[in-house]
Amino acid sequence: MAEQQQPLPKVVLVGNPNVGKSVLFNVLTGAYTTVSNYPGTSVEVSRGQCEIAGTDYEILDTPGMYSIMPITEEERVARQILLQETPHAVLHVIDARNIERMLPMTLQLIEAGLPIILVVNILDEAKRLGMEIDLQKLQKNLGVPVIGTVMKRRQGLPELQQAISEYASVPHKTFTYGSDLERDVTRLATVIKGDYRFSKRATSLLLMQKDEDVEQLIVTGENTENLELLQTLVRDVIFERRADLHLQISMERKKICKQMLDGVVQQTELSEKEPFAELLSRWTVNPWSGVPILLLVVYFGLYKFVGGFGAGTLVDLLEGNIFEEYINPPVINFVQQHVSAEWLFELLVGEYGLWTLGIRYAVALVLPIVGTFFLMFSLLEDTGYFPRLALLVDRVFKKIGLSGRAVIPMVLGFGCDTMATMVTRTLETVRERIIATILLALAIPCSAQLGVILGLLSGVPGALAVWLLAMILVFLLVGLLAAKVMPGEHPIFYMELPPMRLPQLRNVLVKTLSRMQSYFMEILPLFLFASFILWSLKMLNVLEGLIGALSPVVRAIGLPVEATSAFVFGFFRRDFGAAGLYDLQTNGLLTPAQLTVAAVTLTLFVPCIAQFLMMKKERGLRVSVSIFVFVSLLAFSCGWVLNKILLTTGLLA
Amino acid sequence: MNCGLCGKEIPADLGPGDGKSPCGSCRGGCRKIHCPYCGYANPAPGKFLRKMLQKNNEEKTDE
Ligand SMILES: Nc1nc2c(ncn2[C@@H]2O[C@H](COP(=O)(O)OP(=O)(O)OP(=O)(O)O)[C@@H](O)[C@H]2O)c(=O)[nH]1
Ligand SMILES: [Zn+2]
Ligand SMILES: [Zn+2]
Repeated sequence: MAEQQQPLPKVVLVGNPNVGKSVLFNVLTGAYTTVSNYPGTSVEVSRGQCEIAGTDYEILDTPGMYSIMPITEEERVARQILLQETPHAVLHVIDARNIERMLPMTLQLIEAGLPIILVVNILDEAKRLGMEIDLQKLQKNLGVPVIGTVMKRRQGLPELQQAISEYASVPHKTFTYGSDLERDVTRLATVIKGDYRFSKRATSLLLMQKDEDVEQLIVTGENTENLELLQTLVRDVIFERRADLHLQISMERKKICKQMLDGVVQQTELSEKEPFAELLSRWTVNPWSGVPILLLVVYFGLYKFVGGFGAGTLVDLLEGNIFEEYINPPVINFVQQHVSAEWLFELLVGEYGLWTLGIRYAVALVLPIVGTFFLMFSLLEDTGYFPRLALLVDRVFKKIGLSGRAVIPMVLGFGCDTMATMVTRTLETVRERIIATILLALAIPCSAQLGVILGLLSGVPGALAVWLLAMILVFLLVGLLAAKVMPGEHPIFYMELPPMRLPQLRNVLVKTLSRMQSYFMEILPLFLFASFILWSLKMLNVLEGLIGALSPVVRAIGLPVEATSAFVFGFFRRDFGAAGLYDLQTNGLLTPAQLTVAAVTLTLFVPCIAQFLMMKKERGLRVSVSIFVFVSLLAFSCGWVLNKILLTTGLLA
Repeated sequence: MNCGLCGKEIPADLGPGDGKSPCGSCRGGCRKIHCPYCGYANPAPGKFLRKMLQKNNEEKTDE
C-alpha cells in the first residue's frame, strides 16, 4: 500500500463522537485498513482504501470533534488533518436526531472552504422519533451535497459513493453574520495574503478567536511586513470586542442554522415520552417554575433522603447499633487485653484514637451520609438536571443584577482545583484573582463536605432552613462582589443543554460507587492523620492549651467549650469537623441553635488543608495566609451575628 | 464516558493518574476526570467499575 506512486485522492471523515463515523469508515473501506498514530501525536487515525467507479480513494477517519476550534488533543489532530491534507472530499457525518446542534460545525466547515458532503446519518432513529427531514431542501439551503444514510444497514451507501465520485468543487455559499462582525472579518480577510487550506474568511474568524495553530500558520504564511500588519489588526479587533466574541459568533451561527433548517425538519406527532422531557426541561430553567422545582429537589432529595434516611436511619443503624453494640466492645476489649502501655491505648481507642475518631467517624458517621448524598447527586446528574440548574442560577442572578458565573461552580460542587484553573484562566488582573480566590475559599466548593453538613443538620427541624438561608445569603454576597469585581458579561457560561432523560440504574450505581470510593480513599488517611496529630498534641499536653486559647472565640459565638475540638477537627477537613459536631449533638451537648451556628461557621471556614495547599501553590504563602485569616475571621463573625440573631429572635430556641 | 454536566463525550484515554489527566492542579493523584470542555469534575471509576460502565455502553449500542 505504501508504494503508491501518485498519492490517492483523499476522503476525510469528520464529525462529533458517536455519529457513526467508524461504521461508515468500515462500510466504505472493508478490509484494507491501518491504524497508526498521527505524526507527532499519540492520537490514532485509521486509514483505508476503497474503489468507487473505477477510482481508488484513501479514506481517513478522524477523532471526534465538536467544533473546528479544538480543545482536546483529539480535536486538535482532527483539525490538523483538515488544515494539512488536501482532500478530494470531506464527509461531515452528523446524527440526524441532533441536526440542529451539529449543523453549526457544518457551517464552519463550509465557511472554511472545504469540499464538504454532509452525511445525515442515523435517519432510522430520527424517523422513529417522528422527525421528518427534507434533505433536498437542506441541500439547496446549504449549497453542498446532502446525503441521508442509515449506515448501520448500509442504506444510502450508493448515493454517498456517487456523491464522492462526482464531487465537483463549486464555490461555496457565504453565510453572512451581523454587520459589525462582518466588518471585522473583512478587515482581517483583506489583509491576509498567504495561501491556506482554510478560506480567508474562516482564517480571520479563527484568528479573532485566538486560535493558536492558526496564529502559528500565519507566521510562516505571511511575509514579515504583512504579518505585522495582520497581527496588529487582530489584536485591535480582539481588544475592541474581547468579552463577547465567542458568544456572538456562536449565536450568529445558531441563527443561520435556524434559517437553514427552516421548513427542513418536520416534527410529526412525537412519541409519548419526548414532549414530557422537553416540557420538564423548560420548566427547570424557567425561574418561576425552576425555583419551586429546585426546592422540591432539595426537600425530597436532600432533606428527606440524605438527611432523614442517610443521616438518620443509616447512621443510627451503623453507629448506634452495629458499632456501639457489636464492633466497639470487642475492639476495645481486645486492645485492653493486649495493650498495656497507656499511650498506645490512647492512640488506638482513646478519646482521639485512630479507631475512635478515624475509623468510626469515617465509616459509621460520614460514609452513610456521603453515600446517600452521592446517590442522590449521581441520580440528578444522570438525568441531565445540573446544566439546567446552572442555567437557572445564572438567569436568576442576572435578573437581580448579580453575576451567576461565580456562583455556579460552587452550586454544582466542581472540584476546588477546577475552580482555581477557571479563575486563573478567565481573570486578568492580580486583584481580581485574589478576590476571586477569597470568594472560592469562602464558598463551599466541595459537594461531599456540603452533604455531610447538610445531613448533620437535617435531624434538627429549622436548623437546615436557617443554614440554607445563610448559604443563600453568602451566594448572593459572592454574586454581588463578583459582579462588582468582574463587571461585564463574560460569556464563559453558555452551554448547550444535553437532553433530559430517565436516569440509568447502572450509570447511577457506577458513578455513586466511584464517588464513594474516591471520597473514602481521600478522607480515610486524612482522618487517621488528624487523629494522630490530635493524639500527639494531647500526649504533649499542647492540645489543652490550644483548646483553651480557642475557647473564648468559641464561647463568643455561643457554643459550649466542647465544640472547640470540632473546630480543630474542622481545620483538617470540614466533614471531619461536621462529624465531630454530630457526635456532640447526639450526646446532647448542643442545642439546635448552637448546632446551626456551629454549622454555618464551619461551612464558611477554610475547606481543608488540601485547598489551603492549593491556594498556596497558586497565590503564594503570604497571600494565602492572609486569605486564611480573613476567611476565618469572616466565618466567626458570621457565626457571631447569627448567634445574636437567633438569641434575640428566639428562633430555634 | 459522557460528561455529567455538558454531556459531551470525554476521550476514553483521559483517566485518573495515568499522566493524561487534564487536571493540572491536583496533587497526589487526582481521582477525578475533569471534562476538557466545561471543567466539571466527573468521578473516575476504578478498573472494575470502568468495566461495568463499558459493558453498559455496549449493551446500549447493541440493542
Ligand atoms: N440506529 C443507528 N445507529 C447507528 C447508525 N450508524 C451508526 N450507528 C451506531 O452509532 C454508534 C456510534 O457509531 P461509531 O461509528 O462508533 O461512531 P463514531 O462517530 O465513530 O464515534 P467515535 O469513534 O467516538 O468518534 C454505534 O453504536 C453504531 O452502531 C445508524 O445509521 N442508525
Ligand atoms: Zn463537560
Ligand atoms: Zn483534579
